[in-house]
Amino acid sequence: MKKLRAGGIVALATTTALIAAACGSGSGGTGGATASGDNVTITWWHNGTGDPLLSFWEDVAKEFEAKNPHVTINVTAYQNEELRNTVLPNAFTGGNAPDLFQSWGGGELAQWAKDGIVKDLTDLAADTVKAIGTPATAWQVDGKTYGLPYTFGPAGFWVNLDLWEQAGLDKANFPTTWDELFSAWTQLKDHNITPVAVGGLDGWPAAHWWYHTAVSTVSAEGFQKAMADGDFSDPQWALVGSNLQTILDAHAFNQGWEATSAQQGAASSAGMVALGQATMELMGVWNGGVMGGIYNEQKGLAQDSQELQENHLGWFPFPAFSNGQGDGRILGGGDGFSVHANAPAETVDFLEYILSEDVQRRYVALGNSPALAKLGAEIKDPAQAAAQKALADASGVQLWLDTAFGPAVATPMNNAIVAFMQGQGSADQVISAISGAMKG
Amino acid sequence: MSNPVVTVDPRVAKATRGSTPNASKAKRARRWRERLEVIGFTGPALLVFVLFVFVPIGYAIVLSLFDGTPTAPIRNFVGFQNFTEIFTTGRGETLGQPWFWNAVRNNFIIAAMSLLIQGPIAIGVALLLNRKMKFRGFFRLMIFVPYVLSEVITGVIFSLMLSPQGALNDWLTRLGFEQFTNFMWLMDTSAAPADAGFFSILGSRTFWAMFAILTWKYVGLAIILFLAGLSGVPEELNEAAAIDGASWWQTQRKITIPLLGPTIRIWAFLSLIGSFQLFDMVWILTGQQPGRTGLHTMATFMVDQGMNRNRVGFGSAIAIVLFVITLIIALTYQKFILSRDIGKES
Amino acid sequence: MATATLDSRRIVDQELKKKRVFSWSQPWVYLVALVALALSIGPVIFVVLGGFRTNPQLLLNPGGLPDPWVWDNYGQILDPSTRFGPMFFGQVIASLSIALLTTAFVVLLGVSVAYAIARFNLKSGPVLFSIFAAGLMFPATIAILPTWMILQSVNLVGTWAGVIIPQVAFALPTTVVILTPFIKAIPKELEEAASLDGTSRTGFFFRILLPLAKPGMVTVGVLAFVGSWNAYMLPLFVLRVGGAHVPIGPFDASVTLPLGVQAFQTQFSSSTTMIMAFTSLAMIPALIFFLAMEKHIVNGLSGAVKG
Repeated sequence: MKKLRAGGIVALATTTALIAAACGSGSGGTGGATASGDNVTITWWHNGTGDPLLSFWEDVAKEFEAKNPHVTINVTAYQNEELRNTVLPNAFTGGNAPDLFQSWGGGELAQWAKDGIVKDLTDLAADTVKAIGTPATAWQVDGKTYGLPYTFGPAGFWVNLDLWEQAGLDKANFPTTWDELFSAWTQLKDHNITPVAVGGLDGWPAAHWWYHTAVSTVSAEGFQKAMADGDFSDPQWALVGSNLQTILDAHAFNQGWEATSAQQGAASSAGMVALGQATMELMGVWNGGVMGGIYNEQKGLAQDSQELQENHLGWFPFPAFSNGQGDGRILGGGDGFSVHANAPAETVDFLEYILSEDVQRRYVALGNSPALAKLGAEIKDPAQAAAQKALADASGVQLWLDTAFGPAVATPMNNAIVAFMQGQGSADQVISAISGAMKG
Repeated sequence: MSNPVVTVDPRVAKATRGSTPNASKAKRARRWRERLEVIGFTGPALLVFVLFVFVPIGYAIVLSLFDGTPTAPIRNFVGFQNFTEIFTTGRGETLGQPWFWNAVRNNFIIAAMSLLIQGPIAIGVALLLNRKMKFRGFFRLMIFVPYVLSEVITGVIFSLMLSPQGALNDWLTRLGFEQFTNFMWLMDTSAAPADAGFFSILGSRTFWAMFAILTWKYVGLAIILFLAGLSGVPEELNEAAAIDGASWWQTQRKITIPLLGPTIRIWAFLSLIGSFQLFDMVWILTGQQPGRTGLHTMATFMVDQGMNRNRVGFGSAIAIVLFVITLIIALTYQKFILSRDIGKES
Repeated sequence: MATATLDSRRIVDQELKKKRVFSWSQPWVYLVALVALALSIGPVIFVVLGGFRTNPQLLLNPGGLPDPWVWDNYGQILDPSTRFGPMFFGQVIASLSIALLTTAFVVLLGVSVAYAIARFNLKSGPVLFSIFAAGLMFPATIAILPTWMILQSVNLVGTWAGVIIPQVAFALPTTVVILTPFIKAIPKELEEAASLDGTSRTGFFFRILLPLAKPGMVTVGVLAFVGSWNAYMLPLFVLRVGGAHVPIGPFDASVTLPLGVQAFQTQFSSSTTMIMAFTSLAMIPALIFFLAMEKHIVNGLSGAVKG
């Protein structure tokens, strides 16, 4: 095999050249800052692969082009996970990074900021940052804003009101404590109705149960210490597992929840709630749209019909634990955009246009949840409105823990949580999985 | 680049020496022509191959020495630390799983079972479809259909069929076998915990479901290869054997299958390497979390670590280890089994 | 070998054989073939039928037949006046062009190399074989970034060629591994005879070897074609991220079929039954290609060796 080595050396030499090229162009956006007045091209990558969002973003880009004739915007939509795990990282390293792109906040954004990929928007878009308020904090690193959300909302229980009432429960009086919720589940089971659907196959929908339990159990300071230094010494952390265990012991989940998908295809947990096979699902604000789509298709309704959302869905927040110190904080998250460090100045203007009241209002009209808090009050469908009210009433918002901790921690954490929920291993393993991965 | 690896057989060169000057001139011209031929025949392929296969390998070797992220892959030189970590345990895993070794085990089991189960099935079907029969072309086409489906789509189909609310459970219920509907074919976690035995994977329903799907998907490829190999077995041999009173099966066993030997050995080689590189189907069918069912392969472990956890250096190190392990197996196979088919002496 | 006595015996025996074959063996053969058939296309039929259903049908009655039959999924994809029609036909054009060109180059380059390894008596033959085989052992998922940078430096990002050339490189290992022993098995006497006639190795290659190696070439061609047909990552990067723009007539041939599945996602979920219809239709050109190639797999070598 001596001869192989010659090939290897050639490969190595070429690789060295490649790396030199990579380092040279690694942090370059495509645009390059141009003095305004010259023609400018903005490349924009987002995750809205399906209508109505796909067409909406195209319209928004065209409107901005019309107002700024020297700007051309190239829009491309990518499937969310593909964009996040493969397309963007390779583009950042390969030297063809877009100017404006999807940004999920939390630990991942902190890494991008550290690598000098994203532009500091704190002063460039100060007014918009202020208008958004609390949700924007999830896109901040050390007090500086590196991205802005265009949608934000809390997670909670989405309830199929038809099943709820079928079991003799009152839709004007949703449970506010765990005892009330447990007895509602018992009542549903007595009527042979599956109380809860969980999309455990995807991992994260199951893990959210632990996130909610943690936010409700551990104080804001306890979270702060854990996120910043990996310090889980606060004794409340030890209660998260046992609190979650009381929920699991109620045996309210759908049979085979471990292998049920959350949103993909028709046989998902969202589909079960929408079509009356399970009563409720613990999920983020987008769930109304997901369930509405499945419902409309089955009933032969128009694609944009809001029938399910307006007349058959209810929403209530995750109840507090009696031993908890969560103090009215709520779990939530959203979607945002970041601007590349080398992007032309017009990119920031365009981002501010996306977040202007007019565009946001039209975005909300598509059934989405806004990032501008003042638009939350304008929402009509009752479930969505209840969610927005809960967000406004909350003492604070905790970003999804997987996003907040970042990708290096997310998978080990979610794996440990799901293993625990499936009855394998102990509650401590979740905490040690997080702290172990953080030390990394 | 020139081809340092390509040299003309010295025996040919030696034979040309010591002739008359004129003849030697002619021989020399011929030798040059032969060299050009060698370059002409292998050069273009080697060029694209080195550029798009060897360069990425070199790049991965470099990355494996760093602890980089996807956005800054070449940062924090760590030497061979990634490699030592592979063989101890993955970082941040508290279930105490020897992840990598479990992945190696799974690869070996899948490789062995592919050879022992898929091979005979494929040979049997290929022999069958090599007979003169009606609708033969149609049968061949249909056997090949699963191979034409992409891995992603195959994953979607079987997820739909095997999910708790899926078609299989629906059929079982209709047929009155409701007791079998809680099997969770794609989420049997019995082999996942750290204290599950090393061979507990053989008791996992998800493992067997996975293997059945892999067989479904890839046996068509083996059949097509064998049919191509069978085309080289002259029909007369079968006829002659039949005249001597041999039954169909005896003819196949004594004559056809031995003549199919080179094809079987090549298929086994491809199947072996394919089993070690197995990624897509496992990744999709386990909802991108093979660890939950203890079903990681080396390649899924690599992507799980490299992409999902942003550890590009560690992922690249796994790629290198995977490359070396497969290479050792392949070279051993080549030396002891394949040499008669590709070596110089035939 | 063929003597008069043997011939007469042969005729008698063939009569016997015919009787035997048609009296009991054939039904058994068909039974096994039908079982294999059912196992192999059962799941595919599930997909094809799924294309005639709606998503709620799939949820509420996962194992049932379409009820009612919905033609809309297939109709929308095939109707050039909808959003999907021009996309589908454009993607078929792109997929076909890329797959056919990939196949042509892979087979040509592969058979040349395999011929050199199998027939040139090169000392480095086995090493060359190992080098190409080594390409099978490296996980391709990790090669995206270097591939991208090479393509960028030669300005092939966003073009069909940028997909075809790396695909040729990725498909070469399988091709060489399969073709080398195949060519080795072609009787040496043919080449010696040609050599006595004064035919050069190149001449032998084009005039005699290529026709003889047809079944092997068709086999690797089919594999290369299918590989290209289903390729996802490379076209995603080169064509979509690379911003390809290839209008052909009224059709948009910028991306290949596997990337087209994305169109069936709505903002909140994806339409599984639409994807099933799309998949069923996307399979057809590949199956036609196989059907056209299939008879060459079978009828090549045996005839040549006899002659």
